[in-house]
Amino acid sequence: MRDDSNIGRRDLLKATGTGALVVTAGCVSTTDETATPTETDAGGGGGDDTATPTETDTGGGGPYTIGMVDSVTGSLSAFGQRNQRGKDLALADVNETTINGRELNIVVEDSESQSQSGVSAAQKLVNQDGVPFVIGAVGSGVSLSIYESVIQGTDVVQLSQNSTSPDLTNFPGLLRMSPTGSTQSTALADIIAEDGYDSVAMAWVNNDYGQGLAETFRQEWDGEIAYDQPHDQGQSSYSSTVSGMANSGADAWLFITYQPEFTAMAQEAYSNGYEAQFYGADSVQGSDVLGNTPEGSLDGMKVVVPSAAVDQENYQNFESEFESEYGDSPTSWSAFAYDCVVTAALAIATADEFTGAALQETVRDVTRPEGQEVFTFAEAMDVLGEDGDPSDVDYQGVSGPIDFDENGDPVGFLQILTVENHEYTQTGTIAG
Amino acid sequence: MSVLEFLANGLVFSSIIVLSSIGLSLVYSIADFANFAHGDTMTVGAYAALVTFGFVGALGGEVLGLPLGFFVALAVGVAVAAVVAVVTHKLVYEPLDVDSIGLLITSIGVAFVYRAVIQLGFGTGFIEFEITLLRPIEALLPYGIRMTMHDVAIVASAAVLVAGLHTLLQYTDLGRKMRATADNPSLARVSGIRTGRIELWTWIIGAGLAGAGGVFLGLYNNISPRMGFNILLVVFAAVILGGIGSVYGAMAGGFLIGMINQLTPLLPRLGQELPLIPESFGIPIGIEYANAIAFLIMVAVLLLRPSGIAGEEAT
Repeated sequence: MRDDSNIGRRDLLKATGTGALVVTAGCVSTTDETATPTETDAGGGGGDDTATPTETDTGGGGPYTIGMVDSVTGSLSAFGQRNQRGKDLALADVNETTINGRELNIVVEDSESQSQSGVSAAQKLVNQDGVPFVIGAVGSGVSLSIYESVIQGTDVVQLSQNSTSPDLTNFPGLLRMSPTGSTQSTALADIIAEDGYDSVAMAWVNNDYGQGLAETFRQEWDGEIAYDQPHDQGQSSYSSTVSGMANSGADAWLFITYQPEFTAMAQEAYSNGYEAQFYGADSVQGSDVLGNTPEGSLDGMKVVVPSAAVDQENYQNFESEFESEYGDSPTSWSAFAYDCVVTAALAIATADEFTGAALQETVRDVTRPEGQEVFTFAEAMDVLGEDGDPSDVDYQGVSGPIDFDENGDPVGFLQILTVENHEYTQTGTIAG
Repeated sequence: MSVLEFLANGLVFSSIIVLSSIGLSLVYSIADFANFAHGDTMTVGAYAALVTFGFVGALGGEVLGLPLGFFVALAVGVAVAAVVAVVTHKLVYEPLDVDSIGLLITSIGVAFVYRAVIQLGFGTGFIEFEITLLRPIEALLPYGIRMTMHDVAIVASAAVLVAGLHTLLQYTDLGRKMRATADNPSLARVSGIRTGRIELWTWIIGAGLAGAGGVFLGLYNNISPRMGFNILLVVFAAVILGGIGSVYGAMAGGFLIGMINQLTPLLPRLGQELPLIPESFGIPIGIEYANAIAFLIMVAVLLLRPSGIAGEEAT
């Protein structure tokens, strides 16, 4: 399911990115405030008051309120829905343990998957609700618009749940839970080198996604790139691309493109009798690709896809909890949203006070190494006790080790899939 | 790699463009408007063939590496495309009392409707005919040509259809009437030709050829709801290059545009491939600009011959 949505999502990210150019500030939000199902007044009233950035009381009292900008409606609503499920599960886990006796409350605002509405939503959260921590958004363009129009220059923490554009790396103040697309290129460069190839032919799709990944691959790859050409989406013929790759003499062929384009190229290569070791980025992987290529023609192909920490016990618990709650398996995207909430809760638990400035100090450290590795929120609170230090814990999320780097990007957790007997088989995972 | 391989690729791709462009040009010459639904008519043909092939695919016998069922499916695809076009003509284009620009815009709307209906029925994904892909023909490999029997089938079928159309236009009563109607509809009408009926036949033939083009495009690449629309711009370039309204011009234009599209990878190393030119000579341009080059050549030809390659000749 996630595989199928990848293509659409990349396109949509681009579309929303374009929308980012026409951001207008100062709009009043017209979206409905979605109350979270787990919201309670357990701490005894005064819920709104605790949300002000000047709140300093950390013992007892009402819930801590943070904000979330999500694609509840609009073109990325499929992701938004998964995010909401992940967020609800995380909130239930956090509030079962509580943050030193106080609950966590999340005000969700809809970005409508558009930059303009996303900025309005974030403004409402920061200026009216006064939240010091905003989880948001899905589309990379929306996340960047929010950062540039609302967050930058304040000490509010922004943590994007799903944005993958390499551009976000240039904004260290903007954190994100989903790994940047460029980690895939790095991983691919390593895998191809490990397999003993020193020359590669690379075909990439002529858009932000393809350019971004191809650029990173060029930087990371030490060998020769015998063929390095873009191609447009939706062409009727890719014979030139395939002939060119064959002509380059490289034995390793790397495809950074989408499923229909890759399928056409794989068919072309097969009916031209070309043999090569294929490699691909996540967007060329899918059941449609296998269904429309001749049996055996892709065997041995290696694809790198972003992945949750599927081998970890906490992910398996998350998965079974998710399945019993929603009757559906979770996607990586809901795992990212889950980790956003837990990370926010840990940042609050270890901060001296509930302000943006204080949370900025702690949010990165709670997921970084040297603290004790913890896999759930309850476990983390056990280690932290009443007044733990952020560096005491190293939260290992259900989506991976997280470990925010200096650019606010997480350590990508990737899966290597190899085609065996015309089926994808997981043959390894990579962190970093 | 040899120039021959690129020429072979170009020949196969040209065949598909030629099939699409003659239909478009034929409809233009008689119905007198640029039919933007032509690309989606191709898609309709391809999907109709796909469904039919699901039923008759197992039909025995093989011709040029294709099961006989494929040719049945091809015929159904052609027929369905023709019927859909005729129904559209009767329901939409004929009752509309607008000029050719109005019809052009209407046809864009019709294209959206075709595509939407296909997406409702088949989804937005891509799909293939369940035909085993072939390996290149062994006998041609020593020459550096990598063609499969399917490629040969595409070229051969295109040649048969083009020859058939030529015969129809030149040597049959219907063909003469079609040419007369295209030349001067009023004069044709006063001389006793039922131009309404001729127009109907034009739609049948034009859309049928589009359907065939769609089926072969599906065999060559994938079948997806956008397949026809994606190739439409190139087809228009071919038609205009050939001289809009001229069937033979469309053939020439389609052949030229298809070839240019596939020969673009040669441009950066012209010197190595051609004699009499210094080794280092080449035009540094990437294959992502193949369509841009095709259009540039179209503009250049139109500057020299404003009516296109065969613009002045009657169809």
